[in-house]
Amino acid sequence: MLRPMLGRIVAKIASVLESFGLTSLIPLRRLGAMIFHPDTLCPFCGLGCGDIGIDRDQSGIAPRPSGCPQADRLFRRPIAVPTDARLGGAAISVDDAIAEAVRLLGSSRAPLIAGLAADVEGVLAALSLAERIGATVDHERSDALFRNLAILRRFGWSVTTLAELRNRCDLVLVVGPDPAVAFPRLWERWVVPEPAFVPGNGRSVVFLGGEPLPETVRCLGARVETSGLDTGTQTDLATLVGGLRTALAGRLTAGDPMAVLAARLRSARYAVVVWAAGLFEGPQPDLIVEGLVRLIRTVDGTTRCAGLPLSGADNLIGANQACGWRTGFPLRTGFDGGGPLHDPDRFDWRRRLRDADVTLWISAFRPDAPPLVTGGKVIMLAPPEAMVTPEPALFIPVGTPGIDHPGDVFRADSVVALHAGALIDRGLPSVVNVIGRMLAALDQTVKTREAAGC
Amino acid sequence: MLTKLAGGRLFDPANGRHGEIADIWLRDDRIAADPGPGATPDAVHDVTGKVVMAGAIDIHSHIAGGKVNLARLLMGEEHDRHRFAGHACGCDRIGGDRIGGGSGIATPSTHTTGARYIEMGFTAAFEPAMLGSNARHAHLEMSDIPYIDTGGYLVLGNDDFLLDLIATNAGQAAVNDYVAWMLTATQSLAVKVVNPGGINAFKFNARSLDLDEGGPYYGVTPRSVLTVLARAVYELGLPHPLHVHGCNLGVPGNVATTLDTIQAASGLPMHMTHIQFHSYDTAGDRKFSSGAAALAEAVNRTPTLSVDIGQVMFGQTVTASADTMAQRHTAPLAHPRKWLAMDIECDAGCGVVPFRYRDTSYVNALQWAIGLELFLLLDDPWRVFLTTDHPNGAPFTFYPELIRLLMDRDYRLAKLAEIHPDAPAHTTLGSIAREYTLAEIAIMTRAAPARILGLADRGHLAPGASADVTVYSDVPDRRAMFERPDLVFKSGRLVVRDGVLVAMAQGCTHVVRPGFDDLIERRIARHFDERLGLPIKHFRIQDAEIRHGAGPQLHPCRRREVP
Repeated sequence: MLRPMLGRIVAKIASVLESFGLTSLIPLRRLGAMIFHPDTLCPFCGLGCGDIGIDRDQSGIAPRPSGCPQADRLFRRPIAVPTDARLGGAAISVDDAIAEAVRLLGSSRAPLIAGLAADVEGVLAALSLAERIGATVDHERSDALFRNLAILRRFGWSVTTLAELRNRCDLVLVVGPDPAVAFPRLWERWVVPEPAFVPGNGRSVVFLGGEPLPETVRCLGARVETSGLDTGTQTDLATLVGGLRTALAGRLTAGDPMAVLAARLRSARYAVVVWAAGLFEGPQPDLIVEGLVRLIRTVDGTTRCAGLPLSGADNLIGANQACGWRTGFPLRTGFDGGGPLHDPDRFDWRRRLRDADVTLWISAFRPDAPPLVTGGKVIMLAPPEAMVTPEPALFIPVGTPGIDHPGDVFRADSVVALHAGALIDRGLPSVVNVIGRMLAALDQTVKTREAAGC
Repeated sequence: MLTKLAGGRLFDPANGRHGEIADIWLRDDRIAADPGPGATPDAVHDVTGKVVMAGAIDIHSHIAGGKVNLARLLMGEEHDRHRFAGHACGCDRIGGDRIGGGSGIATPSTHTTGARYIEMGFTAAFEPAMLGSNARHAHLEMSDIPYIDTGGYLVLGNDDFLLDLIATNAGQAAVNDYVAWMLTATQSLAVKVVNPGGINAFKFNARSLDLDEGGPYYGVTPRSVLTVLARAVYELGLPHPLHVHGCNLGVPGNVATTLDTIQAASGLPMHMTHIQFHSYDTAGDRKFSSGAAALAEAVNRTPTLSVDIGQVMFGQTVTASADTMAQRHTAPLAHPRKWLAMDIECDAGCGVVPFRYRDTSYVNALQWAIGLELFLLLDDPWRVFLTTDHPNGAPFTFYPELIRLLMDRDYRLAKLAEIHPDAPAHTTLGSIAREYTLAEIAIMTRAAPARILGLADRGHLAPGASADVTVYSDVPDRRAMFERPDLVFKSGRLVVRDGVLVAMAQGCTHVVRPGFDDLIERRIARHFDERLGLPIKHFRIQDAEIRHGAGPQLHPCRRREVP
């Protein structure tokens, strides 16, 4: 009788403490109470949902169903995890592992730091290390980003953010595959709510060159408008975008479905063109992006129209932002004797992996990593639950930002940075802690060499 | 650590010293009183004959945040050409703090920004356009800039929440509470308004908005946004007056709007920023001429007004602004031909347009002349500040050249003779004999910025002040003098010797925190839930987030009533 009541009181105190960011003050595991963390910030896909409910008990944390398969899976973490590092599969202390990592990185001739899935502080630490040892950096998911960046850097663009989509947009044009594949709650959170500034509060969603997922159809209901175009997979996206631009230029007959869509764009008050370039298939996806940016500029000349290029799981955008302010360049940047050097092709991690003699792979958000095919050695920083094959030369367990320790992540629309809090203490270090110790050890090595007159 | 700077000539206008010879003592991170005979300093620097000033302060420089980082991406060619290797405290061996590495001139990366400022003897620079929705990003970036103190001015006046408060006649008290809440939540130092109501109007497809024109959705005029915010800032007792980027930036004839804007303040303190871009008249065949004389006269007779210039210097740069409306007009002139625009979070926006100012262009040459004209016609150096609106008029690294133009009339006239031949006829610059003195430069770059921002322990050399000190050689070439100080101390630590970085130091982040009635929070929370899709708690920036846990430096506000 007393125990459940105590649990409720403790949970109330916990939620008050949590609202002041004081989760670490909650010594509740001993009491065996279930604690509920409302409005938890999710750092995973890049939509930055701040309303996830998390239950915590003696065994670990588990999310209440959020409508997002990523959050539902990735917030489920056991409290009991191995905290030892592994050298060739055998357990060693984290201290010894860091010493070994420093030995490998310090003597590497062509090091690569990739994955780069960490909070902003972790990424900055990785950049400091890269500068120190002359490594190149890249994020696991940067492919999607660079399809957009290629156009941004060459041409520029006109874009908007999620709250503008939610409140101002009366026509959503989705180009390519349904972005909900990668951003599960996009429609529910940013399009279903009634727009504040649209007369009559109505809005339409048109899909071009892709079909809405069944759950998207359920979610959007009557908002989905049929374009009358054959948007099946037979027609390639570049052709469709080109056709729409031709229609906007007034070079199609009035009854043509593409001309109808062009007229819809021109008569909308604030149209938003949404795409997830990572989902584009076929060669030269950046040319599709360029077509979209030009299309948006055309429409925006007379009414309002803006793009919403989405990419950004595992703090991809934060990694690119931090790399941008620290080096002046986006990801895929390395350091030579003359300072930071950027090469979007040569420094793609997939290419670098082939010639790197040592790779530091950072994957703090999720317990999975892609297979790393390399002739060099791999040092991996990842959550202890990670199933990694083949076993890396060195494995150092790290916590997940927003679960084991606080950390900053950027939303996929690139403007809003969010501070994810801590939920449990499993004795796992953060990426910044591990790399900070590596940097300190590198300093120590240098000082020892200097003392020895080397 | 006790350091003695012996025998320098002090230019410390806040304490009435204009070249007097005296010793300066630094104890740890503060300036200390002369400890008297028997003191044993750990370091003594003989600065006999040298000029000693407090560290310089830049009150308006776009150094951090989303638009700056986007500008870096857009300026790839410049970054490719200007790369800087980090080095370890004066040597290039591996080990120790790496300093100064990065890339870029107009949009330098964070470490490069800190390095370029401190090498010129600047120990503080303030980001003047921090959007609430982007504040956490701006703070993350600012804490990655070494050497200098920073802080952000919160952009308000186009956010739907404020315009709704005004449109629904919620009252000045509600506005004040909202402004105070936002300053606190975003860890800001001051309030800036950018094209009041205009950025919001642009989202509803208005392409221009005049001072007394109602916006398309709320029907609120820029004038009312301006007066409501100026009053909020005054009543909350913020040290810095409302920082105003007015309407019609860059539009020929806009000097009339600027003069009207001064009237709109109706006696409330106001800081008008980059006024060079707001001083254009329409005389002459090209319908573009200087309005500097009229504006300078109005500023001179309005003691509640302060200004910074936003000087244009010739060369490649990039313009980055929250003013999407103005930037859309500039976009066709982009050089290289690329630009970007962004609508942001029911808050404001940003526009980034690369630009090359040419002395052979009539318009650019006149812009350059108008800026100098303003500097020289404004008679109170306590109310005018040295800015290029970095990077919009020019990169901040042009300051030494700009100082020389102000201090050396012959040099100025020689430069005037080099620009587009038709431009001089449309400004009064050629007839102005004034040369700034060292004392006036010290006011404009040290004492006055500290005073206008409410930084009591910065910008001067009295005991108790932060030990931010710059020592120059007094040479006739003022550009050379201000480009390469002999010594720069940040918080008591010698970080630059003979223009070269010799050690690392970190600055702090300055903020204000006026109180508010927390009833406003319910209305703001509803706005966050319904409009912004984010629980309010995720928006607030905690002290522990500032500078890796060091927290901000708070400055007091004193509430007052409008008389």
